[in-house]
Amino acid sequence: MNAISQRLIPVLLATCALAPAQTATYTNFIRQVQLPSAVQWDATVAATGSQLSALAINPGGARFELWTVMSSPLTSYLLDTRYVGAYVPQATLVVRSEDPYSTIPRTRADRPFYVDVSMAGLLNGATDPAASKSVTLMHYVQSYGSGGTGVNLDRTQASLLTQASIATNGLQTLTYTVNAVPGAVRTKVRGEERFSVFSLVDYQAPASQLASQFIQIWPVADASIAGITQGMLIRFTMPLLTLTLNDLYPNSTTYAQVYKGNPALGTLGAVVPGSALVTSDSVPQSRVLTVQNYDSVFPDDGHWTMELLTVTPFGTDRLAYVSFDIQRIVTVNTNFSTAE
Amino acid sequence: MVALTAMSARATAEQPVMRDAVTEEQLVLAQRMARQLDPMKQLPVTQAVDPATLNHPQDLLSQSDLLCFDGIATLVPKHAILHIPEAYAQRLKITPAAHIVGWADFFAANRGWITTVEISRVQAEGKELIAEDSRKLLAKSHNLVVATYQGGPISLLAPQAPPSTKSTEPIKP
Repeated sequence: MNAISQRLIPVLLATCALAPAQTATYTNFIRQVQLPSAVQWDATVAATGSQLSALAINPGGARFELWTVMSSPLTSYLLDTRYVGAYVPQATLVVRSEDPYSTIPRTRADRPFYVDVSMAGLLNGATDPAASKSVTLMHYVQSYGSGGTGVNLDRTQASLLTQASIATNGLQTLTYTVNAVPGAVRTKVRGEERFSVFSLVDYQAPASQLASQFIQIWPVADASIAGITQGMLIRFTMPLLTLTLNDLYPNSTTYAQVYKGNPALGTLGAVVPGSALVTSDSVPQSRVLTVQNYDSVFPDDGHWTMELLTVTPFGTDRLAYVSFDIQRIVTVNTNFSTAE
Repeated sequence: MVALTAMSARATAEQPVMRDAVTEEQLVLAQRMARQLDPMKQLPVTQAVDPATLNHPQDLLSQSDLLCFDGIATLVPKHAILHIPEAYAQRLKITPAAHIVGWADFFAANRGWITTVEISRVQAEGKELIAEDSRKLLAKSHNLVVATYQGGPISLLAPQAPPSTKSTEPIKP
């Protein structure tokens, strides 16, 4: 078995995948596993940047594993793997959504997302090895469960949804209009979809991962307004409001607004003081807000509408609304008569 | 409220799309349609055995030996430690408060009791023996000895038996 003469492999560190390693209790390791010999080499790396692998790759290829190790309790987490070899094609996967969040691709249960698959180095000669002529694209789905956030998720338990073969170089984009994360209530699914490109099994190496990327799917928010009911007549001060907000998107601004008249989607009103909640997190949030002393947004008596709106990277959604009447003027009807 | 004011101003300027939040019925219908339009169905279908279940990398800890001393610890590939003097046997166990560091940092702090021996890729694969003189010296070393390649710890596989020169079966015509 002849070694490929000093083929140098760039070891790329995915900065997003290294997010857990930014605290002092995590340390990163890159392990180069030679195939088929299974010789393992610890490639010492800096926290960010790139470097060339000094260990030549055998014809069977090598798998680069990026791990982070937590000191206490001693636990290792596999962050990413790449398989490289003499004639193994190069694959790149990018999952995009309407949310510009850069740490982890994410979207909402009702929104589309896109998968860019780029292939290079695929051969098509009659005598070329099968593993050099095509790869397999796998699509996995996995639910986080009710209220789950994906922390400590065992990704080996993901379900394989579909698989396909790719035999042409270049970029192709797969468009998914909506997610396929398992869950009976579609508005409330939370989980992830993973796309992985694997090489074909070869006489010298097993099928190995060339690229992998996942997108998180978060539930659609819902909300309710309590304290004011539909058609209610309010005569004096405005009642105490209770706003129940569930599954607010990790990057969202939610607030109540009021305007005069019947409900009309798209109307811009006055923001109810004390009702605004800005969420900037990595997972959905749920809150209960109580609002009082908000009479100032009702300058006139009449028929009014209150709406609960949430603004996300996907636009503005109305979560709930209620219409009611305000009549604060007391009309006194009397008769005044005189008698001689 | 500043954010909200800015947001309202932007909303006025750009006239954002405002809609009612999607209902469960709408989403069930959308998913039913999406299932029929799965873009991967446009590609040639394969029925390969899921490689993720067959060839998943094994846990790093199970593939490594630990070295620990003076509050820090590191991981090296199994079979990278070539010689363990009895005095240092306990340093292959992690202490509860130890912090994991990379090999370079650990070795820099523990050169007093760790010696490295550079080996070649062919030696790591067990296809070539380390020179006998070197092996004798290693066995007598008072330090713990770690095999390295270009400074990084590397596993040293057991030497492979040379291929037999005799054929057990005649070559069939």
